Amino acid sequence: MGSGNWSTNVYDAAQSYNARTGRSAFDYSHKAHTSVPRAQWKAHADLDPFGVGTRESRDSDEHPTSLAISVLFDVTGSMRSVPVTLQTKLPELFGLLLRKGYVDHPQILFGAIGDATCDRVPLQVGQFESDNRMDDQLGTILLEGGGGGQKRESYELALYFMARHTELDCLDKRGKRGYLFIIGDEMPYGAVKHREVRQVIGDELGEDIGIRDIVTELQRKYEVHYILPAGSSYVGDTEVLGRWRELLGQNVIELDDLDAVCETIALTVGLAEEAIDLDEGLGHLKDVGAVDSQVGSVSRALTAYAQGRSGALATTQSLPGLDDDGAPGTTRL
Amino acid sequence: MTHAPATHGSTAREPGTRGAPAARTTGTRASGTPDRHVAVVDLGYGDAGKGTVVAHLCDRAYRSAGRPVRAVVRFNGGAQAAHNVVADDGRHHTFAQFGAGTFTPGVATHLSRFMLVDPLALAAEADHLAAVGVPDALDRLTVDGDALLTTPYHAAANRARERARGSARHGSCGMGVGETAAFALAHPDLAPRASDARRPRVLRRKLAAVRDALTADVGDLGAPGVDAVADVFAAFASAVRVVDGAHLHALVREGPVVLEGAQGVLLDEWHGFHPYTTWSTTTFANADALLAEAGAEPAARLGVVRTYTPRHGPGPLVSEDAHLAAALPDAHNGTGEWQGAFRAGHFDAVAHRYAVEVCGGVDAVALTHTDAPGRFPLRVCRAYEVDGERTTALPADTPGDLDARARLTGRLLRAASELGPVVDSAAWPETVAQALGAAVTLLSSGPRTGDMTGQVVLPSGNN
Repeated sequence: MGSGNWSTNVYDAAQSYNARTGRSAFDYSHKAHTSVPRAQWKAHADLDPFGVGTRESRDSDEHPTSLAISVLFDVTGSMRSVPVTLQTKLPELFGLLLRKGYVDHPQILFGAIGDATCDRVPLQVGQFESDNRMDDQLGTILLEGGGGGQKRESYELALYFMARHTELDCLDKRGKRGYLFIIGDEMPYGAVKHREVRQVIGDELGEDIGIRDIVTELQRKYEVHYILPAGSSYVGDTEVLGRWRELLGQNVIELDDLDAVCETIALTVGLAEEAIDLDEGLGHLKDVGAVDSQVGSVSRALTAYAQGRSGALATTQSLPGLDDDGAPGTTRL
Repeated sequence: MTHAPATHGSTAREPGTRGAPAARTTGTRASGTPDRHVAVVDLGYGDAGKGTVVAHLCDRAYRSAGRPVRAVVRFNGGAQAAHNVVADDGRHHTFAQFGAGTFTPGVATHLSRFMLVDPLALAAEADHLAAVGVPDALDRLTVDGDALLTTPYHAAANRARERARGSARHGSCGMGVGETAAFALAHPDLAPRASDARRPRVLRRKLAAVRDALTADVGDLGAPGVDAVADVFAAFASAVRVVDGAHLHALVREGPVVLEGAQGVLLDEWHGFHPYTTWSTTTFANADALLAEAGAEPAARLGVVRTYTPRHGPGPLVSEDAHLAAALPDAHNGTGEWQGAFRAGHFDAVAHRYAVEVCGGVDAVALTHTDAPGRFPLRVCRAYEVDGERTTALPADTPGDLDARARLTGRLLRAASELGPVVDSAAWPETVAQALGAAVTLLSSGPRTGDMTGQVVLPSGNN
């Protein structure tokens, strides 16, 4: 290859790019949207939470000190094009965590949250993976784009699943909690409803569980964060932010640049792991080529978090030069 | 082999008017780290060693921990560039689209709107970089949305045309760079650009137009279908950040940046020796334009030459000496299938002085291959003898007048070189400085980034 005439084979190049981008992110969603009537939409078998038992984050010879990191995002209509962007951005998370050594053996799980009162697919949860298979899971998430107009989605159902249906070696063997990031723009309903749990997950609960109770239970397993990204309907909404702050305290992050979502998650983990301080982390972002505006977004999002105050500052600004010019809500590729 | 000469067609185009070279004073300042933007341009026919120079500037800034280089900005050419860099630990990569500073952690690459971007070659190059321990090269890459895209149709047409020329080949690299430029001039609305890769319908329409137009020109291209190409271009746009002009402004503000030229000034589309030129402005003009748009100070202008003068393919090389090419084989520059043999001549002071003049002057010179004089007696070509006349300077007053350029080329092809005495190894920097009228501030003696001696002495405050 010393000639510098790098291969111009179209098939090699396609494979190469797809291997990097976690492939064409939305294959499953695209097929569902184009070839299946809405009434028959269902979660991909790999992501269907019904009757799965548990999702497990386990140590192995290769990954002796696994750390569970889960990212669940709201895929309802109010999130507009946010889920699509997340699907393209999240594959970078793994590399970001590893590259700067924030975590030795991350195992990442992706999931999607809808609205159990009106959606066909209110909850999708993948498996903890430590390799490119997590990209496949992202690619099979169905972007239903439903939800209602009540400023609430079934976050509590997702919180219930994560609390009761995951097992983490980091916790069981080393007493270390995993990380859970919820990315969304609305509030949870007030209680986990036993009827919905039976329908979606298959568990028989005698009664509903209050939202605060399930959060408390969940926080024994995970350090739980909520990220409200720019570009969604309720950005900057004080009621939504206030509700989540009641539940999660300082772990509520407003993010004004969705392109920086991976960086924000990675740095949050880095900060929480005390692998870095904020300045170092922002320096790392520059190392991997983030421009000032992105670094600024992450900085604004995490400054308050890093200082341990409640809530975080947000501003709204477009991202010069990095905004996607595709039509909002369109699935690229 | 950094050049892909392709002839200019008959397409009418206004030549750039860049005026007479400005007289530049050469101030120097001893400093470990460039704190200004630096533009690096080859003052010959390519192959002088821009890659090692750019890599060194980036590496040095990083190590000295002053102000690391923010980004390498490519401002001309396309995937046919071949800037060889050997890291100090022996890892080798031929940089084609990625900036030659990519081995240095954190150095971004920006492909400016002047670049012709080949998404297929880019993927292969990124894979090789990953294989030599740089897994995040694509993450550090940004592409201006206005940059033209080279498609497999351009490459196929390029090869078909070059084959048809038979023995009159121009020495193209066969990668379609010239075709991309030519097509864009003839069909500005149909030429695919990086931003199109994010608009599936527009992209398909343009790809089909390119395929159809070039098929009509040269016959069946034997290239992949539009769907396959559209898919991979879309994947390219997902894997790479396609940005608008403001991104470069931000990089420049955060700077410093190194602006890395491709090919060489003697191959410039308007100042080179027609028709053995490239479809590219190889002088500092594009770099100047980008910085001016960003509202930044002009860059320090660093010209790169070897202790001897190499070139690929056909075209003038007045001081050529077959013994020299044989005695100084080039590890990374062999004979290419498309661009022809690697040739070498003694240091052509006449041609390099001409290059300095047409590119508007340089602030400093980087001299590479300073170990070569120890292996072969090297001389300086001080004058040409053409048709019985002795000349020490080439006319630089007809940029863009391709007929005048072609007449000059004809004379150069008949010219004999007048060589001076063998120059001692130690005397080379001073000899080159005198010949080119600028300080030699960087010396390299081997292929590795660390094989550089002498301070990086970059000028400052002379604008």
